[in-house]
Amino acid sequence: MKEPVRTTMTVRVRFFAAFRQTFGGKERIFELEEGTTLGRLLERLGDSPARRDEIFAAGEAGKPPALHPHVVVMINGENASARGGWSGELRSGDTVAVFPLMGGG
Amino acid sequence: MSGPSFGFFGRCLEIDLTSAAVRVRPLDADLIADYIGGRGLATRLFCDEADPAADPLEPGNVVVIAASPLVGTNAPTAARGHMVFRSPLSGLIGTSNSGGSWGFAFKATGHDALVIKGKAPEPVWIDITPAGAAIHPAGKLWGGDIHATTDALTSGFGPADRPRVLCIGPAGENLVRFADVANDRNRVYGRGGPGAVWGSKNLKAVRVSGKEKIGIRDLERYKSGYDQAFHLLRQAPVTKRLLRELGTAGLVELINVIGMLPRRNFQDCVHRDEDLERISGETIARTILERAAGCHLCPIGCQRRTRITRTGSPDESGEGPEYETVVLMGPVCDVYDLAAITTANYRCNELGLDTISFGGTVACAMELAEAGALPPGFDGGRGLRFGNAAVLERLAVDVAHRRGPGDLLAEGSWRLAESCGRPEASMSVKRMEIPAYDPRASFTQALGYMTSPSGACHLRGGYAVSLAFFGGAKEIPRFSLLQSPIAIRNMQNIGILQDSLGVCRFTGYAFGSDPWSRMLSGATGMDFSVARLEEIANRIADLERLFNLAAGAVPADDALPARFAESPVVVAGEKRIVSREAQERMRRDYYQVRGWDENGRPAAGPRPPRRPDPTEGRRP
Repeated sequence: MKEPVRTTMTVRVRFFAAFRQTFGGKERIFELEEGTTLGRLLERLGDSPARRDEIFAAGEAGKPPALHPHVVVMINGENASARGGWSGELRSGDTVAVFPLMGGG
Repeated sequence: MSGPSFGFFGRCLEIDLTSAAVRVRPLDADLIADYIGGRGLATRLFCDEADPAADPLEPGNVVVIAASPLVGTNAPTAARGHMVFRSPLSGLIGTSNSGGSWGFAFKATGHDALVIKGKAPEPVWIDITPAGAAIHPAGKLWGGDIHATTDALTSGFGPADRPRVLCIGPAGENLVRFADVANDRNRVYGRGGPGAVWGSKNLKAVRVSGKEKIGIRDLERYKSGYDQAFHLLRQAPVTKRLLRELGTAGLVELINVIGMLPRRNFQDCVHRDEDLERISGETIARTILERAAGCHLCPIGCQRRTRITRTGSPDESGEGPEYETVVLMGPVCDVYDLAAITTANYRCNELGLDTISFGGTVACAMELAEAGALPPGFDGGRGLRFGNAAVLERLAVDVAHRRGPGDLLAEGSWRLAESCGRPEASMSVKRMEIPAYDPRASFTQALGYMTSPSGACHLRGGYAVSLAFFGGAKEIPRFSLLQSPIAIRNMQNIGILQDSLGVCRFTGYAFGSDPWSRMLSGATGMDFSVARLEEIANRIADLERLFNLAAGAVPADDALPARFAESPVVVAGEKRIVSREAQERMRRDYYQVRGWDENGRPAAGPRPPRRPDPTEGRRP
């Protein structure tokens, strides 16, 4: 018999600050189909109205949802925009960090 | 005073401690038009008075503190003061800003700026009211800590008449090169050693009280800026709630996400998540925070009022720690013990030590100890080594009193490392210790440290950190050699304006120059357009540079320690250094962006500082 083709990948999502309450913990591990985009993962994260409201701004009808301007999403320590943003494909082993834009110093 | 004053009183109080002469001189409206107030005004007055060659700890040094035309209005956070002096740490311009309420109370004495010269024959304190200034012997105040001094000078007053006190602790008296000056007990002019300059002048404290008011010339214009500013502060999550909930230490884990959190005297940026959780803003909020608080007129509220409970010793309460303190006394010393960091922070508050330079100097000493480069028996059995949390609090006391190893540590990391024959162990620029962001994780921040007029400072040098968090068009790629010079010039200019307006940096998370332009124009009746503000920021940057050149600075001073050019750290999966070639290119382009020649000299600039006296020594 042939080996089954591997079609899933593991992505770690870490939450910080208030998002730890929103998403019920410090991190979640996702088994995702290969080729899953960041946008798809974020939609999965917003799996309840409350969670959706926390990260997505109210979008215009017919347009894809957008993150609130204060929500920062990083992949492996770089802003997700450097990896193709919403439509960029995730890779196995990626760590996605979700946190509110924070300041200090 | 004749007639109402709009935005400013036009009065500069000048005190010569050598002769005990006090005079009020008029402050020309042109000075406000060209330099606003705060940092700009203080820099101008300082440059007109100070001999750039005079030793920072000799009577020839001059201290200037200025408020801004917005101080005295109800503009959000507009209660800050700015202090300029020649720094005993860098030998260059010392320029430091503080919140609290002293700046506001000083303005209410009917003065815009305070110039202090000379040296009192005996320790003194100064009392300023609308009637003038009186110089009193410090007596038993000398030797007291900041809290005791503040309490002694404010006792016996009701809440409505309570004066405000700006003072030094033992560290300033003992000329610790990174001693601070504090108001409201725990709000500090922290960086560059202003406390030592006060100590060298035998000046313990300046108390202020008054009820002089300034008017607002064009209320409608002022209010349009005010309403917009307040609305935006309430909108942006950082200023609306995050800083209040988490304090600045809310950054600890996030700065680690972007690979920028230093460890072990900047030897690496590698931490275990569980270690960082022990010192994070969330943990502070959950475990030791009693309440958040804010400076005068501040709706943001980042201050941490905390309590430490330890078995075997009585509870202690105080203020802090904030992000810089957590990281410099924590991971940079390989310490992840929140109670130890916090109690050492309390000691620094009381004794008058800048927590950034203190942490950086202790970390440098720890590295020297590990390398066997310290003289035998140097630490007197204190256990000066990375990871020893218990040594922090004890060393703070040692340094402030210059006891045992504290005497050499009091000189700062650069002089400590130099005296051990290992200057490369000092993580400093222009001899001032680097704050809690590793420059290898952002070329923009690296260039900020290199070109900050006062030495490595995230506030005077430009705060590039938030640029790394923005996505899309707002983001400056943090490893762009091309964009970093313009980006950091812009960040520096925003900071110059905020310091000159007497307002908090954190307002920048909610809005830019426009509301300030309207509030400032409305308050003074003068026209401060956004474009005009930009011109003013450039003028102030030029003047600071001119002073540094007159004080002996050369382009080679605008550089990072060798470690950052030679030893890589891994950032977002890639090994990163800031090579000497990269530094040279960014420095060259930065000079160009500023309109400076290849030696960093402003081509055309403001009236230059006073000429150095050739008989005085050069940079200490």
